Amino acid sequence: MDIDDILASVDRGPGASPESAALDHQQLTRFWIAERAVSEVLPWPAPLMERMMDRVRLQIETIEDLAASSVDTNPSHNSTSHNPNLNLRLSILQTDLARTQYIIRSLLRARLAKLTKHSMHYLVQLASRNKNPLSSASQSQSQSQTQSSASTANVSPEDSVPDISALTDTTPLSGPETSFVHAHQTLLAGHYGASFLGAFPRQLRRLDDNAGGTSMVQGPELKEVVFVRCLAAQVNCLMEGEGDGVDGEDGLGDEIGVTMRMGDVWVVRWDGVRKAWERGKWNCCNV
Amino acid sequence: MSYYDIDSILTDAQKLPCTFELEVPGLGILEGNPGDDIKAGTRIDLPLWLGEMLSIGARLGTSRLVTLDMPDALAERVMNALKADPRTVDLRALAPHFYTLSERILEIFEEEEMVDVLINTFKKRAAEISDHAHNPRGAVGDGVDFLRGLDETERQLFRAAHDRAKQVRIWAGEAKKK
Amino acid sequence: MAFPLPRGIVASEIAFLAEMETVTVVPRQRLEGLELLGGPIEPLVPPRRASLPLWLALLLKRQRRANIIPPSWLHPESLSLILEVESQHQDYKNAFSPPPPLPGQPSVRDQGLEPTARPQYTLDGNRYYAAPPFLPQNTAQTTVSSGEPPALPFHWIEVGNMLLDSASDDLMDPGQIRRLLKDLREVRMAKMRSGVDVLDDAAMGGGGVALTGVGAMELGDERGFLSGVVDGLRKIGASKEQARREQLAEQRANGGYNGTQDEEEDYMEF
Repeated sequence: MDIDDILASVDRGPGASPESAALDHQQLTRFWIAERAVSEVLPWPAPLMERMMDRVRLQIETIEDLAASSVDTNPSHNSTSHNPNLNLRLSILQTDLARTQYIIRSLLRARLAKLTKHSMHYLVQLASRNKNPLSSASQSQSQSQTQSSASTANVSPEDSVPDISALTDTTPLSGPETSFVHAHQTLLAGHYGASFLGAFPRQLRRLDDNAGGTSMVQGPELKEVVFVRCLAAQVNCLMEGEGDGVDGEDGLGDEIGVTMRMGDVWVVRWDGVRKAWERGKWNCCNV
Repeated sequence: MSYYDIDSILTDAQKLPCTFELEVPGLGILEGNPGDDIKAGTRIDLPLWLGEMLSIGARLGTSRLVTLDMPDALAERVMNALKADPRTVDLRALAPHFYTLSERILEIFEEEEMVDVLINTFKKRAAEISDHAHNPRGAVGDGVDFLRGLDETERQLFRAAHDRAKQVRIWAGEAKKK
Repeated sequence: MAFPLPRGIVASEIAFLAEMETVTVVPRQRLEGLELLGGPIEPLVPPRRASLPLWLALLLKRQRRANIIPPSWLHPESLSLILEVESQHQDYKNAFSPPPPLPGQPSVRDQGLEPTARPQYTLDGNRYYAAPPFLPQNTAQTTVSSGEPPALPFHWIEVGNMLLDSASDDLMDPGQIRRLLKDLREVRMAKMRSGVDVLDDAAMGGGGVALTGVGAMELGDERGFLSGVVDGLRKIGASKEQARREQLAEQRANGGYNGTQDEEEDYMEF
């Protein structure tokens, strides 16, 4: 055996085993429920999603091969007698595939819906993490727009779309989601400009204004409640702060609220268990 | 206040009584007398957003243009009626955005007792809303009047409860998809 | 891009999830093992029992290729016992009957024991704790040794309904089961409703209200209402929460915070 093959098989390692398929599927399912339950976009689980998409591709090939083999059989033979279970196997594989695709599709659509609803919020959040010195300069320029906008010629709504071209870290979004939300907001701003904002005075054309104490950039409400099941021995619900609340590991400055014990199902505010969910990843499960 | 939220905007358009502390030249338009001055001591109902803006001096402790009063919807007698029986009060008639208005008012005035009365009111009425929302025959009898008197927040609650209950009935085959 | 569903999974999605529960079947024909995206399926060899996801068991059942062995809780005797606890037992007047314990969680009879969560590890190296529908809460127990009291699994309404619809001939006295499920649903719904009074505990930061033992479809039914009520209460009480935060900040600044707030009392169930 070629050494490359051995290495490749080690690389594929546990990812290729059927048991890990089951575990990944369970994680995908749980992530989907959580994404459907909370108001903000959750951090994109890139490795998990890559493995899932690889498996889906492989499974489609398997199904195609199997379907082709039923056609290839000698027409004088009844294909069902050739393999009496072929159609059953095909229908099981297809149902399983359709169910998995449903979850992935619903997950992506739920995320896109949140992204379009709060597009400016996510763009501003991404841009604020932008380390590129050039674009951070352009950003501070945009922040002082209230003074400068009057003097700048041709202020268009598109100018308020943050520049995220140099972004390396797109958390919590995936790469394609980042491009999507930027393109979406640019189109939207262009459309607003062409249909009505263009007719407004220049200083009223921005989409990120916060004059009068009300910001035009609206984020998701993190205080909304979620329904969670506690899966670790115990998880503390936090009022606010830095700790993750899992198994009593609270950081300084936290206000500890109620304590959930293993197996409990609670109605709690998302901001109270968010850290436990993020840091402990799957300790606290949305139901 | 949320920039794109229509309920939030409508809430800010609800009126509350304001008394002018100073004479303001040229502001008679608020009273329907364009060009005239407004006299000190004049009492006019102004939209929340405007009243709040004009009263800012009051909160800063400097000379103020107007003082704000409780809107009728949150008057003492309403609070008493809500304490007696929250379910019989027609909130919609008092203010279509009764609770969101209360939230804004409570940002301006410190009224601890009012918070308690309103929380109790909301809970008592919510329980009733849930009963109606889960009734597959829809509202009947007294229920019709009660549901008509729901404010906007309560209507949304009713809709949310009703939609979920209906989805479960559809799944169980007890109701048809429309 | 419109996504038509409200936040929080709805009835059809909950039923979809319940179809991932594992049940026990007795196959009536052979079928080779399959590698599904949801995990491997063992080969079917009659009359050997096999564990399958519910959706697959139902698919085979409808084609008369297998019979389903109902889970032990879906039996008139078990359901009557649970109904008795649910409606007569003093401890559960305002709470749901206890759910089946999670792996590592002490059973109801060993309340004193500390739970020890048993994690699995994901391919990314994270801890992973299994939860319904991925726990064997609906398989036919071959060992009735434990004497564990019967408990309603998380997806009890969905699994019960689906088996009544498609596999009633595999159930013991389906008419009686149907009646008991309906009674249970009503007793528990009344408990859920009476809980509105304590919901302000979930509206405050760091607070919460326990619903332990609740079923997935019951949550699906009440989710919109419960979140609506708590969100409403949070907004009305915002000034109160603000005052409390300021008070706590002040206490801390004075070094007088002793860590035991009145929150302990919030550990209530309904």
